[in-house]
Amino acid sequence: MKGEKNLQIFNKLPFFYYLCPYFLNEMKRKNYFWAVLVGCGVMAAGCRQSSDTQVEAPATYEAVDTLPMLIMQVQQCARLYTTEVKVHKIVTHDDVIRLRGQLLKQDFNLKVPLGDRKIAIPMDATLKAYIDFAQFSEKNVERNGEKITILLPDPKVVLTSSKIDQKSIREFVALSRAHFSDAEMANYEQQGRQAIIASIPELGIVDLAKANAARVLVPMLTQLGYREENITIAFRKDFSPYDIRRLIE
Amino acid sequence: MNSKKRNIRDFIVQLQRLGIVAGLLAVLALGVWFCHQMKGSHVEVGADDKIGITPTQIQSIKAIGEWEFLSISNEELVDTIRKGLFKDDQLVRIYYGTLRLGINMHQASPHWLTVKGDTVTALLPKVGLLDKDFIDEARTKSFFESGKWTASDREALYRKAYRLMLRRCMTKANLKTAQDNAEAQFTKMLRSLGYNEVIINFEN
Repeated sequence: MKGEKNLQIFNKLPFFYYLCPYFLNEMKRKNYFWAVLVGCGVMAAGCRQSSDTQVEAPATYEAVDTLPMLIMQVQQCARLYTTEVKVHKIVTHDDVIRLRGQLLKQDFNLKVPLGDRKIAIPMDATLKAYIDFAQFSEKNVERNGEKITILLPDPKVVLTSSKIDQKSIREFVALSRAHFSDAEMANYEQQGRQAIIASIPELGIVDLAKANAARVLVPMLTQLGYREENITIAFRKDFSPYDIRRLIE
Repeated sequence: MNSKKRNIRDFIVQLQRLGIVAGLLAVLALGVWFCHQMKGSHVEVGADDKIGITPTQIQSIKAIGEWEFLSISNEELVDTIRKGLFKDDQLVRIYYGTLRLGINMHQASPHWLTVKGDTVTALLPKVGLLDKDFIDEARTKSFFESGKWTASDREALYRKAYRLMLRRCMTKANLKTAQDNAEAQFTKMLRSLGYNEVIINFEN
């Protein structure tokens, strides 16, 4: 009677039925408890074995070229350099240690007060604009009586040399930080070089190069017997497939 | 009366067990939520290696008239060693440069082109190095460094690379190749302008 009463009370609490010690005792009595334990143990052993036999992804090794190949490339060409521009740039870098990441789905970026270091690297570069005469032929020359028109491709710009003012490099390093290494400084110098190349379109060198090309070619053509007023130097853009696609409506 | 008291006691015990179970479930739910929130969490300490944005200043613009006929791209591995008491310091760098051989039209004589009938004669300046600054020092790669090195040491390495590149590239064979290419290119250009007979000479 007492057991039946207790069973009636437990039936009203189905969520906690299996946690009830009374029911546990019942299971023990009917050996169900041991059956469940053995079953859990078998499942755990099976899962562990299956995780051990998982095929590991083959280790990939990245080849690192520790000794760059020294090459010398010799190339025949026919370029007329018409404009030379010397530029100056001071590459700066502010090295601040920061603690950043993500915690509880929140991004954070905090400055760590371990000391800063700064460096300023002055550098000079020489840019030259040239016209490529490699493909120059009769198709580039139009004669109409005494008048002559020379059709040239658009000038291109190239960075021919750069020089780091090593003695003017200034670095400010906190006591808790190490000095800038040679590799770090080389990295900043390369970034400065890329920044100079990126600023070429803003310098307006191409238009200057076109005007200077006329200053080189017109005297040559006058020596060949043409009058200055009969000489025309024209430029034609070498349309790439992308440019042609843009022109087609 | 006793049975009533026993029922109340049993009910209290059940409530206590209910509370323990509820507490365990709450802790489990909190743990699951915390694990989900921590997924993807990471912390790192580092510094940004990007340079600051600074302007590029033009120092000079010059009109030039240089014909390039041979371009030699070269790399040089240069190093310097400083002997120490316990260990030696070493600095190894790779320098890149491009030597451009050709003629500078500003060095040409006033009437370097003469025409006689359908024959044109050109007296071109001597083929040589167009620009004495040919090393792109900003492309330099630092290969190995041990110890502390000064600006003077790097300047010395630069001059060493300069001498090595000059010795390797400014050979008679390269100068001859540049001269032959100059002759070929000028002949082609003058023929395109309508002159069948072209004579190319070079100044000594």
